[in-house]
Amino acid sequence: MPRKTKEAIEEKNEKEKLISKKKVTKSTTKTAAKTKKEAPTTKTAKAKKEAPTTKAVKTKKEASATKATKSKQSTAKKSTAKKVTKTTVASKKVSTKSTKVAPPTNVEYYDLPYKYNQTIVKVLYQNPTTLFVYWEISDADIENYRKTYGDNFFETTKPVLVVYNDTMHYHFEIDINDFANSWYFNINDSKCDYRVELVRRPISYNEKITSDYIHITSSNEIESPNDKILFSTDEPYIVYFRNTKTNNQRKVDLRKLLEELNLTNKKFGFPLIKSIYDLYKTIYHVDDIDKFSMDLNNPSSGNPSSHSLSSRFI
Amino acid sequence: MQQKKGYVSFVLHAHLPFIHHPESDDYLEESWLYEAISETYIPLLINFQKLVDEGVNFRITMSMTPPLLSMLDNKLLQKKYINYLTKLIELSEKELKRTAGDARLNELSKYYYDRYSNDLHLFRDVFKCNLIEQFKHFQDIGVLEIITCGATHGYFPILYVNEKTVKAQIAVGVQTYERYFGRKPRGIWLPECGYVPEADKYLKEFGIDYIITESHGILYANPTPIYGTFAPIVSPEGVIAFGRDMESSRQVWSSINGYPGDFNYREFYRDIGYDADYDYIKPYIAHNGVRVHTGIKYYRITGKTEFKDYYNVQWAKDSAEKQAGHFLDSRTAQINSLAPYINNPPIILCPYDAELYGHWWYEGPYWLYILFKKIYYDDCNFELITPSEYIDKYPDMQVCSPCRSSWGANGYSEVWLNFTNDYAHKHLHVAGNRMVELANAFPNAEGNQKEALNQCARELLLAQSSDWLFIITNGTMVDYAKKRIKDHIGRFTKLYEQIKSNNIDLKFLKNIQEKDCIFPDIDYRIYK
Repeated sequence: MPRKTKEAIEEKNEKEKLISKKKVTKSTTKTAAKTKKEAPTTKTAKAKKEAPTTKAVKTKKEASATKATKSKQSTAKKSTAKKVTKTTVASKKVSTKSTKVAPPTNVEYYDLPYKYNQTIVKVLYQNPTTLFVYWEISDADIENYRKTYGDNFFETTKPVLVVYNDTMHYHFEIDINDFANSWYFNINDSKCDYRVELVRRPISYNEKITSDYIHITSSNEIESPNDKILFSTDEPYIVYFRNTKTNNQRKVDLRKLLEELNLTNKKFGFPLIKSIYDLYKTIYHVDDIDKFSMDLNNPSSGNPSSHSLSSRFI
Repeated sequence: MQQKKGYVSFVLHAHLPFIHHPESDDYLEESWLYEAISETYIPLLINFQKLVDEGVNFRITMSMTPPLLSMLDNKLLQKKYINYLTKLIELSEKELKRTAGDARLNELSKYYYDRYSNDLHLFRDVFKCNLIEQFKHFQDIGVLEIITCGATHGYFPILYVNEKTVKAQIAVGVQTYERYFGRKPRGIWLPECGYVPEADKYLKEFGIDYIITESHGILYANPTPIYGTFAPIVSPEGVIAFGRDMESSRQVWSSINGYPGDFNYREFYRDIGYDADYDYIKPYIAHNGVRVHTGIKYYRITGKTEFKDYYNVQWAKDSAEKQAGHFLDSRTAQINSLAPYINNPPIILCPYDAELYGHWWYEGPYWLYILFKKIYYDDCNFELITPSEYIDKYPDMQVCSPCRSSWGANGYSEVWLNFTNDYAHKHLHVAGNRMVELANAFPNAEGNQKEALNQCARELLLAQSSDWLFIITNGTMVDYAKKRIKDHIGRFTKLYEQIKSNNIDLKFLKNIQEKDCIFPDIDYRIYK
């Protein structure tokens, strides 16, 4: 049975008050993320960098956008303020004579900001075949794009993630939308370097956009994890051993090493080992080494008793 | 006597997130620490001492994480633990009367009364509330190797987007270790066994020799390690990695036929906090009236049935002894079949959550005690060893890059990055970048500004704890975990803005310094 603290219950109530603000973002992100898309791998993306101009022309639309942002912020603030007042009243019992509400002491309430006003895109790996991307465009940059490409810039273009595999030198695109701020997508190749560019692609005529893409920002680079034993594809004949005390490193010919092993074990009638593949079959007692390679999930993973506290302490 | 052909190395990972609420007694989450002390840490200490007293030469390794050390060292939490035990003893006394009509039950009531009374005596009168010193003692006499962990158990494979934040997790983990154990740690339990090669240079910088990885951290390494998980490998940067053995893991961990599921063992879920009459038990459950575990459990697992028989302490011990024998025989056979193929004597690495032993698997500490005795006295072909000792004996190892991996479900980052918790990462990354910005902008802060900067570092580290993300994924206590992320990011951001505008609210600073009082010696400049 889940245990809840008073604070947690209070927070839940407060969260419900703020739900109108949060629901929009959360639900869209989830929906977007749920619709994982198999990325095409052939289409080329021309991601030209367009320098935003600095000329300041304030249009009606910008003004209304700014207003909307401001009103959003004030809603959030209002909710917070309400909470503070409520808590103060609750803890005020002793000071009912006073007409003034004492300033709250040690009352804390925080919510996570919707935006940090930065233009970024970050990529993380969830597993060897799924990447996660989150992004944000700062208000200043939004304004600049509108100044440069017209008020309808965001209506005449759509956001696209261009995913680059820098190890195998290909890239592909993922269509995203303006309601999302994060996305999961599949990749075909594990153990490769990936990076992502956030770009906008014209979807209707905009006389100021002359290129196929407007580059918004580039991500960090990550390597997707490996997901298999590498001996089938990448078995070197020379390996290195290091003495970790002296740091002396030496080359070892794998074939020679296995030959010596076979010579030693021959007299005991042990099977012949021709490769690491054979060796693994022997030391892990498995016939199907490929199946073994793909199924290394230890039972602690996902076992209710496997991990830190919440499963153990509930 | 059989010739010793190999080694077994037990590594217990002792960790709880930093939960400290001086502002209220209502936080049930604080009881995680008290339960772990009574069910895991004290039983382990008792069994270590028994082994030493009986002249058993054993070896075990434990990671004790900085948040756990900080909580064990916290005077308020020590006091609260004594209160917790006092109430439990009071409840046990009542139970003695309540169960007087049932001899078997009454015997168990007496068992709990004695056990909790003994805990109180040990903790308060013998250990003087200082459990860290007790563990340190076993390290000092050479039977226990204690290793460190990331400062707040931050998950490196997601944090490393800003490498400085990973560096700080390692640096503070090492500093905290030195503070309590008076020497540098040789090993580290990477939080959630989350390995990224980008952390290697920082591990080396702070003097770490070795890490513990999940099996595929070794098996998927590049190039493929010749001897699999049965020998450590060294990364090109010089970090030695030991991989988890799968066969022994399955024997203990398997939810289907793992040892903890023996029918004679104590049933975790049948607690009088849920079973007893509500009015009777009310003073001993949550302040808000929600039923919770009390620690008094009268039933054994019995079988896959709703009907549960009373727990029998002797039967449970018998099962533990039988299983210890099984484990010993299995490792003996495993090492016999491995030894001809491995250049050095093979090492079977058995890493577990420490809290599995005692809290979840009540008989776990006794099982360890029996196993260690058997290994010492029985005719077996292996010895216990710590990873450090193994490295010192067999320093020659293959150079391979371990695979990016974790010990979470499916082996990578899904537990800490999924639809339920992905929203948090943006905030953690931004706060990390801001902390680096502050450290570079104020390299020589003094006085209140320095205090505020150090507190920023604490708030960031606390927000980064992988536990919050795990709890959200797991779906229990989610509100608490979300609140902790919000609180620490909120406090960090507020201080960040105050520092930048040179307008530090000292009252606010003092307030959060009291609440989030982890790492008193932290120096924010680690983020430079």
